[in-house]
Amino acid sequence: MGVEPWDRDILAKDEMQMTVDPLEAAVDDHIYFSKEASSGGRGFGGGGCGCN
Amino acid sequence: MGSPCELLCEDESKSKAKTITQLVADEAWRIEDKFSRYLSGNIVEQINTAAGAPVEVDPEAARLIEFSTQLHVMSEGRFDITSGVLRQAWTFDGSDRIPSANAVSAVMQYIGWHRVNWDGASISMPPGMEIDFGGVGKEYAVDRAAGLIKEQDESPCLVNFGGDLAVTASPAKRSAWQIGIESLQGESEGPERVINLASGALATSGDARRFLEKDGVRYGHIIDPTTGWPVKDAPRSVTVAADTCVQAGMLSTLAMLEGAAAEKFLADQGVDFWCLR
Amino acid sequence: MSKKDSKKDSEKNSKQISATLAAATCALLGGVLPAPVQAEEEDKWDFNTSLLYYGEDDDRVQDLSLNLLATRNFVDDRSLTMTLALDSLTGATPSGAITQNVSQTFTRPSGSSVYTIPAGLLPLDDTFLDTRLALTATWAQPLGRLYQFSFGASASKEYDYTHLGLNARLSRDFNNRNTTLSAGLAIAADSLDPVGGTPIPFTEMLDVGNLSNRVGSEDKDVVDVVLGVTQVVSRNFLVRLNYSYSDASGYLTDPYKIISVVDGVTGDTVPRVQTPGVAGPSHIFLYENRPDSRTKHSLYAHAKYYIDGKVLDSSYRYMTDDWDINSHTIDVRLRWPTGGTTYLEPHLRFYSQTNAEFYTTSLVDGAALPTYASNDYRLGDFDALTAGLKFGWKTGGGNDMSVRLEAYQQRGTIPDGQLIGNQVGLVSYPDLDAIIAQFSYSFGK
Repeated sequence: MGVEPWDRDILAKDEMQMTVDPLEAAVDDHIYFSKEASSGGRGFGGGGCGCN
Repeated sequence: MGSPCELLCEDESKSKAKTITQLVADEAWRIEDKFSRYLSGNIVEQINTAAGAPVEVDPEAARLIEFSTQLHVMSEGRFDITSGVLRQAWTFDGSDRIPSANAVSAVMQYIGWHRVNWDGASISMPPGMEIDFGGVGKEYAVDRAAGLIKEQDESPCLVNFGGDLAVTASPAKRSAWQIGIESLQGESEGPERVINLASGALATSGDARRFLEKDGVRYGHIIDPTTGWPVKDAPRSVTVAADTCVQAGMLSTLAMLEGAAAEKFLADQGVDFWCLR
Repeated sequence: MSKKDSKKDSEKNSKQISATLAAATCALLGGVLPAPVQAEEEDKWDFNTSLLYYGEDDDRVQDLSLNLLATRNFVDDRSLTMTLALDSLTGATPSGAITQNVSQTFTRPSGSSVYTIPAGLLPLDDTFLDTRLALTATWAQPLGRLYQFSFGASASKEYDYTHLGLNARLSRDFNNRNTTLSAGLAIAADSLDPVGGTPIPFTEMLDVGNLSNRVGSEDKDVVDVVLGVTQVVSRNFLVRLNYSYSDASGYLTDPYKIISVVDGVTGDTVPRVQTPGVAGPSHIFLYENRPDSRTKHSLYAHAKYYIDGKVLDSSYRYMTDDWDINSHTIDVRLRWPTGGTTYLEPHLRFYSQTNAEFYTTSLVDGAALPTYASNDYRLGDFDALTAGLKFGWKTGGGNDMSVRLEAYQQRGTIPDGQLIGNQVGLVSYPDLDAIIAQFSYSFGK
């Protein structure tokens, strides 16, 4: 499964990266970490906090 | 080619990479053997030693001469493949030996494309004149090599002959080749700029190493064939990105010849460029 | 010829060179049209900034935060990424005590004063004011041709909480770079120094000035492991699967959360005998108690699909832990280009969790205490929905800006059998409604 190197044009686009906006992802992760009992999934949190 | 040539190939198969390398090397040597002013027995030597007699050229040489003619017109005389003899007056060795005005005008008699007779099939020029494809030969070789690779293979490759380079396709992981433009201080400082090239070509004209300096004035090695003198206030280095290496090379050379107006000239052409002063 | 005319002429001449040169080159190279050049100077620095507002209804939590991300790119794909987050929190949060038909008085966590909640209202503790600073730094680089490596550190500080962490990740490409396996490890050492001191679990909330049931600071250690695989399925389809394991040990209780002690028949909170002249709680409340360890497992699947200029981003996460909490998260986003340099991105997130095994609405007076108990709504049984819209555009200088507005709501239920007597109809899960508004700006240098 997969593509040849010369077929990676679409995959190279910014909006096709797994995490398009790392800042927004971190901010959302932090909000949901403070308000729910689950956390993370896609990677690590950037740091703990006293909110859970 | 007068400079180190390298080929970067992104391929899983070692044997394929070897084949492509051989292809590129063979083409580079073929062009050098055929068009280098420094080698004997080729078409350039024939033309330069014809002493006024017409010489018939093959289709490839004809295309190069035709191209040179069009560039000569486009550049209003600043691009001139007969200007090679200026080396008899100028030696760019970092010293302060500037030729006298007499020495320069003596050589200027043997320069000028308007003195050449070219009818599309054969070429003749007054004795003492010479043609030199040095201004376009390397870029031409890069584009030829890239073209041959593309015909045979879809692997992403980067052909780099001494800083004039072209890519055949963008590499797998990063989506573009990373090319560092050498800083003026030399390689120890690391590249001045890093350019991501996904397709197309880059060519650099520069005088980092070849220059003369006298009385605080620095003379770059690009000489204006219409005057016989180096261009005033030329940038130290000009890098241009274009669809082909030939286009990039011509634009960077012409930009240097514009001297202080180099940046404006390139901005007017609508190309990406990097000038170092 | 006028000056204007000759300028136009020379401009025209300059421009003609490109076209004529292209034609001449085409003839020289044998007429094969090459692909148009794509060259871009690599930014040495990439910056990402955002301002976020999070606000809940009913005088509950409000947060204003400033976030900065800066990446310094070095040659050969190496980079240093640093982030800074500054949060300012205000507002009140449910304390865990249940609503009563009489007014209730509570001692503040500091022990220095009391606050009163009118009859019929959900007890909210508004001592929850804080400013938090969080920093991270991560170094990433390739190792050889197929490996990528990164390691980083994180730290955060707020009035009563300190965090320090380290993390590392290694990934390798296979299969012509179509498959990537990655493994990551993060460890954290956190410490809590609650206002007034850490209350001993299951002791009563005491009068103002009485800190006899308080101890010093407490520690919490966390180890996280993430194993993942990313697979290119086709030219426009990418998927990722992650398994995460998390182990937290130490002090996992919330030092500010309490549980109402109630009469076993009426369900009313037991009033407290107050000392004349001494301010203190009006009823009996016990500080909550959670286990000193928690193990979580998560499975996360993420897919990105490109069709016709639009990108569909969808993910699902399942989490289960040894506190008996299970959760499902479904997140879907669609990036929709609108015109050349703008886009709209609607977003929908659905979340559902089951309550922790020790989640308890109240404790019955006289009955044996359970091993652990908490009425923290965040450990309860609830569903949450986020619906939002983001609008992004490229500025004149080629930089990215965006704004997004989202609504987040939680709707929960009290588990069967937990409501006693008069609590029925009076006590319910503290549903939450919040707004998220964010402005972002990215630029490079």
